[in-house]
Amino acid sequence: MREASADASSRSSTLWTPDTALSRRQVLTVGGALTATGLLIACGGGSSSTPTTSSSSGSSGGSGGSAGTPGAGATPGSSGGSAGTPKRGGTLRYGLSTDPSNFEPHVSTGAASGAVKLMVYSTLLTYDANGQLIGDLAESFGWVDDKTFEVKLRKGVTFHNGDELTPEDVIFTFQRIKHPDTAATNAGRLTALERVEAGDGNTVRFHLSTPMATLPYVLADNSCMIVSKKWIESGVDPKTTMMGTGPFKFIERKPGVSIVLERNENYFISGLPYLDGITFIPMPDDNARVTALRTGTVDFIDYVPYTQMDAIAQTKNLVLKTDKVLGFGWLAFVYDREPVNDLRVRQAFAYAMDRAKMVQIAFNGHGEPITGGIIPKGWVGHSPDLEGTYDVDYDKAKALLKEAGFDNLKIDLLTTSTYSVIQRPAIAAQAELKNAGIEANMIAEEWLTFRQTVQAGTYPVHVWGTAPAFNDPDFLTDYVGSNGFFAKQIHFSDEQIDKWLTEGRQTTDPALRGEIYHEVEKRVLELLPWTYLIRREQGEAMANYVKGYTHLAAGSWSQITLRETWLDK
Amino acid sequence: MTRYLARRGLYLLVQVLVVATLVFLLLRLVPGDPARAILGETATEDQVARVRRELGLDRPIYAQYVSWMGKVLQGDLGTSITSGRPVATDVRDRLGNTLELIVLATVASLIVGLPLGVIAGLRANRLPDFVLSAAAMLGLSLPGFVVGTVLLLIFALRLRWLPQSQYVAWSENPVEHLKLLVLPVLTLASSAAAVVMRMTRSSMLEVVRQDYIKLARAKGLSERVVILRHALKNAINPVVSVVGLELATLLGGTVIVETIFGWPGLSSLLIAGVRARDYPVVQGVVLLIAVLTILINLAIDIAYAVLDPRIRYS
Repeated sequence: MREASADASSRSSTLWTPDTALSRRQVLTVGGALTATGLLIACGGGSSSTPTTSSSSGSSGGSGGSAGTPGAGATPGSSGGSAGTPKRGGTLRYGLSTDPSNFEPHVSTGAASGAVKLMVYSTLLTYDANGQLIGDLAESFGWVDDKTFEVKLRKGVTFHNGDELTPEDVIFTFQRIKHPDTAATNAGRLTALERVEAGDGNTVRFHLSTPMATLPYVLADNSCMIVSKKWIESGVDPKTTMMGTGPFKFIERKPGVSIVLERNENYFISGLPYLDGITFIPMPDDNARVTALRTGTVDFIDYVPYTQMDAIAQTKNLVLKTDKVLGFGWLAFVYDREPVNDLRVRQAFAYAMDRAKMVQIAFNGHGEPITGGIIPKGWVGHSPDLEGTYDVDYDKAKALLKEAGFDNLKIDLLTTSTYSVIQRPAIAAQAELKNAGIEANMIAEEWLTFRQTVQAGTYPVHVWGTAPAFNDPDFLTDYVGSNGFFAKQIHFSDEQIDKWLTEGRQTTDPALRGEIYHEVEKRVLELLPWTYLIRREQGEAMANYVKGYTHLAAGSWSQITLRETWLDK
Repeated sequence: MTRYLARRGLYLLVQVLVVATLVFLLLRLVPGDPARAILGETATEDQVARVRRELGLDRPIYAQYVSWMGKVLQGDLGTSITSGRPVATDVRDRLGNTLELIVLATVASLIVGLPLGVIAGLRANRLPDFVLSAAAMLGLSLPGFVVGTVLLLIFALRLRWLPQSQYVAWSENPVEHLKLLVLPVLTLASSAAAVVMRMTRSSMLEVVRQDYIKLARAKGLSERVVILRHALKNAINPVVSVVGLELATLLGGTVIVETIFGWPGLSSLLIAGVRARDYPVVQGVVLLIAVLTILINLAIDIAYAVLDPRIRYS
C-alpha cells in the first residue's frame, strides 16, 4: 500500500507509485470527512494476482484499494475449501435455484441470474473474502477528491471476442446504465454521477455532482457489469446472450435445461479459472436440487433450503457454506393507516414477538433474531448497543395496546405464499402476536399479486423479506429514505432521516459515517415504520471434492470465487 | 365423413378464437405487473412506466388484442417479455418433451391398465378383482408428488439405478434420454393406469352380460376370441374417451412431474410464464394446448367410428 496526496490537482500518474501508501483509515483521518478534498489513496498491487497469495486492501471504508482475488485469505465460510494444490480441468455441474429470465447485464433479476452473469462479465470492483472492496477490472482505485473517483484499469484485459477493454467501454457502460431506456437497477443510485471520463493512461474518472461515499460499492454491484461498446452497438440482444471479460465464456443456453459456460483462456488473472467450464442446470424445486446433489447429478447447489441444512452438514461427502448476515425479514406498518398509525400499536407488535423462538419455528434455528438495528455485523454503522431494543415483553405489548384503546386487536396481515423464506417468518409472527392479544388474519398472495397489494396499501400490516442491495449502510435509503422504494409503499417519510442519509452518502470518514447510520438506525427503531424480524441463514452446498469455493461475507457475490474453484477428483 | 370433418374444422377455429380471447382478457385481470417482474424488486415508477410503454402495455386493451390477434393469425406468437426469445421457439422445444412424456405415459397406462381391467372385469367380486381394485384406488389417490418423490428416493437415491434431474436431449444421448424418462413416465402412468383399469373393468362387466357374448360362447369360440374380439372390442369405447381426456389433461398438467424430475416441458413453461406475467408466453402455450385438446377430441371421435362400425358421422 502506499502514498496519498492531498492535492486535488495531482496528476494521476503520480497516484499509484508503489510502496509508500498510507492505509485508507490513516488517509481519512488526515483528510477529514466532507472536507477531504484532494484525497487519493493508492494501493500497491496491480499485477495480476495469483489465487493464493493476494490479499485485500484491508480498508474498512472501502474506497481505495487494489486488485485481488475474493477467495484469498481466511474466511468463515471457506473452511477446508481451499486445501491442497488446485488441479485444472473438469466441468462443474451447478444446480441453479432459478432459471434466469434473461441475461441483461444492467438489470438485476435475482441472485441466481446474477451468479451466472458474474461468471461471464466483470465489474470494476468486487469484494474479498472478508467483504472488503478490492479491484476486479480495476488495478487500483481511489478518490482524487470528494467528487472525483479514479479507477486504473488492468492492462491487457480482453473481451471474449478478442477486443481489448478500453476506458471507452467503461464510459459507455455507465452511459448505458444511466440511460432511461435501460431501466438499470443502479440508475437511481448513480444520479450524482455527472460524467465518466478517460484520464491519463488506462484510467477512468467518475465525476460527481455531490460527494458520494457509496460510489465504490455501486461499482462493485453485479448490476454494474462492464460491457463492450462495440458489441452492444452491433445490435446484439444482451437479454439472450452474454459476452464480457469474465473467467468463463458463454457457449449456449437451452431454456429450462442448461446454461453452458466454457473456460476463458485469456482471463485477466493468469492461471484462472481452474475449471474447464460450468454447466448451470435450473432446478427450481428445493428438494429436487438437494436430491440431485446427493445423487451426484450435480456437484454444487445454491439456495440450500433451511430444512435440509442440518442433513447436508451431517453428510460426510457434502460441504455446506452459509452466512446469517444478509437475508432478513420485517413486519411493515402502513404508516398513516389505522390502527397502526398509532406508535403504541406499532410498539406493541415489536414487543409481542419472541424472535429467538421465531427463528426456531420459521427456520429450524437457521437464522438469528433481530431485536435492534438492521446493519449487519462488520459493516459501517453496525450498532451492537441497539440490540435488545425490542426484546420480547408480552405484558408491555398488552399494556401498550390497552393504552392505545385496544383490549384485543384483530388485524389483516399480508404476506406472499411464493417464497417460504418470507412466509414462514410471517407464520411465526402470527403465532407470537397471539401472546399479546393480537389476532393476525393471514392473507398469503402470489408474489406479483402480493407486491401490487402492498403498493395499494390494502392491508395495514405485511411481512416481507429480502437482502441489502449492496454492501453499504446506504442500502437503508431504499427502506427509510422518503423516496425509497419500501418507505414509499408504507407512506413513511422523515426529514431527519433523509438529512442523515444524505450526509451518510456524502461522508467519506468511516467513523463519522458509523455515527450517522447509528443515528438513523436509532430513529427508525423509535419511529418504527416496521419492526425487523429475523435474519435467515443462506448459502451453498457442494460435494467434498469441490475445492476453493468461498462463501463471501458479501453473500450474493460469492459465486465470483467459482473462478478459483477446482475439482479434486 | 368429409363434411363432418369440415364442420369440425370450423368448430375448431371458433373454439380456438374463443379460448384465445378469454385467455387474453383473463390474463389482464390477474393482478401483478410484467414490468415489475422484469425489473426486479426496487424499480422506480418511472422505470416501470417506461418498460410498460416499451412493451406496449400502456395501450388500450383492445389495441393490444387486435395487434396480438393479427400476429397470431399470421402464425407469429410474439416475443417473450422476460427472455426476449420468440415464443414459438420456446413452445416448440417444450412441446416435443411434453408429447414424449404423455404419449409414453399413456401407452404405459394402456399396457398395464387394459389387461388388468379385463382380468378384474372377468373375475368381478373375486380375489383378483379385490386386489386389483385396491391397487387402482391407491394409484388414483396417491398424488404425483408423492409417487414421484418415492420413486426418486428408491431408484435414484437408494438403488442408484436411474439418473435424476439433468435433462439430456435425445439427439445428445438417446440411452440416457430414455433412462431419464422412466421415472416421470412411471409417475404419470401410475394414476393413468388406474383410471384405464377401472374403466375397462366396469365396461367389461357390462359387456360380458350381453347376449352376443353368450352366443359367441355357445358357438364354441375359444375364450380368448370371445374376450378379445367380442367383449373387449365392444367395451373399449369408454376407455378410449377416458384416455383422450387423460391426454388432454396431461398436456398442461404435468407441472409437478416436470419440476420433480427436471423435465423441461410445456407445463413448467406455462407456470414460469404465469409467475412472471409473461403474457405472450402464457397466451402462446394456452393457445397451443387448446388446439391440441380439440384435435385430441376429434381424434377420439374418429376412433369411435373406426372401433365401432355402428357409429357413422355424416
